[in-house]
Amino acid sequence: MSHMQSKRMPDERLAVGLGASRAGANRTKRRPSRQRRAEALWAAAFLAPALAAILALRLAPAAEALVTSLYRGLPGGLRPQVFAGLGNYQMLFANQAYWETIGRTIVFNLVINPLQIAVALLLAVVMTRKIPARSIWRVLVFIPATIPIVGSSIAWGIALQPQGPVNAILAALGGSTQPFFTSPQQSMASIILVASWIGIGYWMIFLISGIDAIPEELFEAAKLDKAGPIRTFFHVTIPMLKRPLLFVLVADTVANFVLFVPIQVLTGGGPESSTTMQMFNAYRTTFGHSAKNMGAAEVVILCLIMLAFVAVQFRLLREDDPRGTK
Amino acid sequence: MSPRTRFGVGHRVGRTSWVATVSAVLLSLIFILPAFWMMINSLRPTVDIFESLWPLSPRVIVPTSLGLQNYFTLFSGSFGRAFLVSMAVCLVTVVIGLALSVAAAYALAVLRFPGRNAIFAAVVISFMVPFEAIAIPLSQLFNDWGLTNTFMGLVLPGVCNGLAIFNLRQHFLSVPTSYREAATVDGASELRVLWSVFVPVSGPAISNSALLIFLGQWSAYLWPLIAVSSPNLQVAPLALAKAFTEHSADYGATFAGAMALAIVPATLMLVLQRFFGRLAIGSGEK
Repeated sequence: MSHMQSKRMPDERLAVGLGASRAGANRTKRRPSRQRRAEALWAAAFLAPALAAILALRLAPAAEALVTSLYRGLPGGLRPQVFAGLGNYQMLFANQAYWETIGRTIVFNLVINPLQIAVALLLAVVMTRKIPARSIWRVLVFIPATIPIVGSSIAWGIALQPQGPVNAILAALGGSTQPFFTSPQQSMASIILVASWIGIGYWMIFLISGIDAIPEELFEAAKLDKAGPIRTFFHVTIPMLKRPLLFVLVADTVANFVLFVPIQVLTGGGPESSTTMQMFNAYRTTFGHSAKNMGAAEVVILCLIMLAFVAVQFRLLREDDPRGTK
Repeated sequence: MSPRTRFGVGHRVGRTSWVATVSAVLLSLIFILPAFWMMINSLRPTVDIFESLWPLSPRVIVPTSLGLQNYFTLFSGSFGRAFLVSMAVCLVTVVIGLALSVAAAYALAVLRFPGRNAIFAAVVISFMVPFEAIAIPLSQLFNDWGLTNTFMGLVLPGVCNGLAIFNLRQHFLSVPTSYREAATVDGASELRVLWSVFVPVSGPAISNSALLIFLGQWSAYLWPLIAVSSPNLQVAPLALAKAFTEHSADYGATFAGAMALAIVPATLMLVLQRFFGRLAIGSGEK
């Protein structure tokens, strides 16, 4: 199904592009200015709710975070806030634990994003090969992504408890049981496991659409050249998949930078702060410690680091746009 | 089978790959088994779950008895109410969100006015920023605006979904311009054109956007956690987390809660599966 859509998209977009520009040219020539003004008024009316929502729900909080982070106040707001410049930031950066939180967030993202995308890509390649009952296997991998994350987090918390089924399997296979969430050495890896079980099927769907959109002729040509599956993968699939890969990588990174539910539900940032990352930390600072100014500074730093990550990914994957995906 | 044989759409050239088939089966089992385990546990008594956790035996996924008792227990408690609150929040969000998105998408796709591209870019960029990142400062603003602990306070952050606007705009662009011209000649207003010409031919795109808005709101956790403290407005994901941390001994009800939360989006997606494939493309191409 998705395949039919993908095949249709390019022509559709082309046709639309032509149609739109032609109609636009006609209109600017012929239309009286009164009609043009009416159209602009309609546009304003139609856009007003969306723009108001973006203003109130996106821009205002971003500005609020920036401004709040520059003030210092007492918990509970008993006294008026005083301007503190970059004081909150200085305090954060003088704090060893905060540096460790930043480091943990970065390491977490350096591991989980490539891992999830690599597995999702592997799955997408397998699931686009000629195999019986293909759509069933796709759905089975995708199902974890449909379970709201709080439900799957709790279920994995039970599955990974010291005397839980995962350890039962390990023991039955002759291995030793693992502490998972109860050990500072394994808690982060356990979070990665849970988040990946949830996320991989979701990203796989995007990559399957991307692979389906690659022209069949390229695979046939690779076959004529007697290229094996691995060469075909690196010389046809990967180069043709750059745009979907970039999209998935950026979207995954953005999602993982603000990952919150499994940490809040399962570890509370512990044990021994081993799963305290920036998003959870900002939440705890703001609501647990009632330090909203410091929390705002943490939100600003989180966003800046996240944007830096996304910018690097754009650089890495954008440098040459392969012909044919345009 | 010749290499060019194609069985419907999407089949790659060549013979059936048995390596790929075996990998697909094994990989999908890894993903589905925990979900299957969750489902089985939601249908059996807590004692049975406890006894099957350790040591490993077939009982881990083979129940001794099946029944809906956990669901009855769950829905007769505070979760039942929370489930209804979640439903109400999602439905209101979808109605407002669709109205807002359809109108904006129509303006961005069909109407001509200065600054159109800039506004479109602003809409697209605004949804690349994850909501969670600005949820904390937004909760301070909602506090100032008197929206904390209100129904609309839960609804509002979900109404503005950039991806929904983006998908609708892409679809409206594909509606032939002659449709609108014909209607305008007949003296129809823009509102009339949108409602009587564009909306009727946009079923899949609209349900797609409705699904996006619904899903975003249905699994919301951080926002209800920080914007609402009143038990009357507690949503289902929070009720579940609270039940798990406070009386985690009732595993049966916990699994039933997780499944109850999962069934709603899974059903919606199954129903709208065709549109979901389209959704993946739309966003992947961006």
